Amino acid sequence: MAGPVAALINEFSKLPTVGPKTAARLVFYLLNRPRHEAQSLAEAILRVKDRVRFCSVCHCLTESDPCDLCTDPDRDAATICVVAEAKDVYAIERTGAFKGRYHVLGGLISPMDGIGPAQLHVKELVERIGQQSPHELIIATNPNAEGEATALYLSRLLQPLGTKVTRLAYGLPIGGDLDYADEVTLAKALEGRTTL
Amino acid sequence: MLLERVALSNFRNYAELDLELAPGLNVFVGANAQGKSNLLEAIAMLGTGKSFRTNHDADTIRTGFELAVVRGEATVRAGGVALACAIAKNGRGTRKTYTLNGRDVRYANFLGKLRVVTFVPSDLQLASGAPGVRRAFLNAALAQDEPRYYRELARYRKTVAQKNALLRGTVAPNPELLEVYDRTLVESGTQLMLARDRFVRALAEAARDAHARFTVGAETLEVAYDPDVAFEAPTSDAVAAAFDARLRDVVESERARKSSVAGPHRDNLRLTLDGTSLGAYGSQGQQRTAVLALKVAEYSVMRERAAEAPLLLLDDVLSELDGERAAAFLRSVGDYEQAFVTATHVPSDLRGDARLYRIDGASVRAQAVA
Ligand SMILES: [Zn+2]
Repeated sequence: MAGPVAALINEFSKLPTVGPKTAARLVFYLLNRPRHEAQSLAEAILRVKDRVRFCSVCHCLTESDPCDLCTDPDRDAATICVVAEAKDVYAIERTGAFKGRYHVLGGLISPMDGIGPAQLHVKELVERIGQQSPHELIIATNPNAEGEATALYLSRLLQPLGTKVTRLAYGLPIGGDLDYADEVTLAKALEGRTTL
Repeated sequence: MLLERVALSNFRNYAELDLELAPGLNVFVGANAQGKSNLLEAIAMLGTGKSFRTNHDADTIRTGFELAVVRGEATVRAGGVALACAIAKNGRGTRKTYTLNGRDVRYANFLGKLRVVTFVPSDLQLASGAPGVRRAFLNAALAQDEPRYYRELARYRKTVAQKNALLRGTVAPNPELLEVYDRTLVESGTQLMLARDRFVRALAEAARDAHARFTVGAETLEVAYDPDVAFEAPTSDAVAAAFDARLRDVVESERARKSSVAGPHRDNLRLTLDGTSLGAYGSQGQQRTAVLALKVAEYSVMRERAAEAPLLLLDDVLSELDGERAAAFLRSVGDYEQAFVTATHVPSDLRGDARLYRIDGASVRAQAVA
């Protein structure tokens, strides 16, 4: 196969979830598209690398530092939502249901993967709470083993600071059937039931 | 419960197979390496989602193919269920997906929809093998029986692995984080210990009765839960307190040994015959009889807990046993609704309602009992 084609397939297949077959499909798709489309893709990739940085306050992705979320006066600085990754900020923002600020940890505690609190933005969170004394800290980590351990560790660490620490509720997926929910999800949803 | 149909696609030596199954005793007869055990393995996977013969899932995919699928249609107390388990090659490993009534579900939601009790030749090591063999036996039965058990077991194991990594020094020592892991271990470990305690109590009674029938009361088999962390009473509070205290005691030694040294991952199931350890002092014959009793007990406890009869799967076990023990075993299991047995020759002691399947080079032919 021609050098440039093989090289691009090779580059694409380095991406997460992209195998060699998908990479080849992407390359042949691009070969069939006009030049300007390929150019705008290439430029978008470079713009991300050149312009996007991490916000020095919340560690989310941003073009300006501090980011728009941290400087927006309409957002409540007394509530901070702690998430693992920047993509979680976008997920919560899409709901439109949260009007506070964020703190991105940059991962979850997992010693098996060499990630301890020192590898995450935990120290920065403690400093931030010390400076801003928020009313509430919402821990929105995944409901898996690492997410649970990270949430427990943070709540323990932050207890002496006197900030109220809450955790996202476990629940049933909206629009799903009760009889298809797995028993554990259903049990957790029962535990976390609310008054109507 | 009844498995009415099983269909295989590129599973082991089967290209395509679609087989209707009968209630009662189904016997897969054939020479070795023709596909008897492969068929039984597939049926078991519909219940447990796992192979009872290998931990290397790629082995179950037919040579030269990328995807193996096992499908089944069953009637359980709650109604009809369609189950499927697919094993796909994925890079250097495999990926398994599960569907229930046409919907993709997670493993935890697939497990135990069809309940199976399997008895394979390696089970004969339950008496003589290391404690891990008996823990695996308990885990397999309880995970099918209680969805919560499977989840707690997965959570417990993951937490032990994370704690061990922390103790080994993959990240900076952190006593607070160690406490977080210990707290989770106490929480999930308590659930595991309580579930094992309850299960073994029921198992012990049924095993003692079955054993008395086998030996005509000559010897008494005692089965007891032997937890690594001793507790005073089988209550959440007592077990959690005991485990918590033990973890505090071993903080120093865990730091020195860089590993979790206490908890249900070191539990045992103690088997004794008239007060003497069966593993250490029992003859091979005594060990076999005890394992048979344990398997009969597993079946009856599972049946009682689910309020319906699980499928009974016997892989080559009847030929491993002498004729008398094999017949006694089937009699002792008693009123199973459906059983699947593999054998190299037709067992002489077949019940009248047995259905025979001749298996030859991955082709299966149903045959009336002569
Ligand atoms: Zn920011």
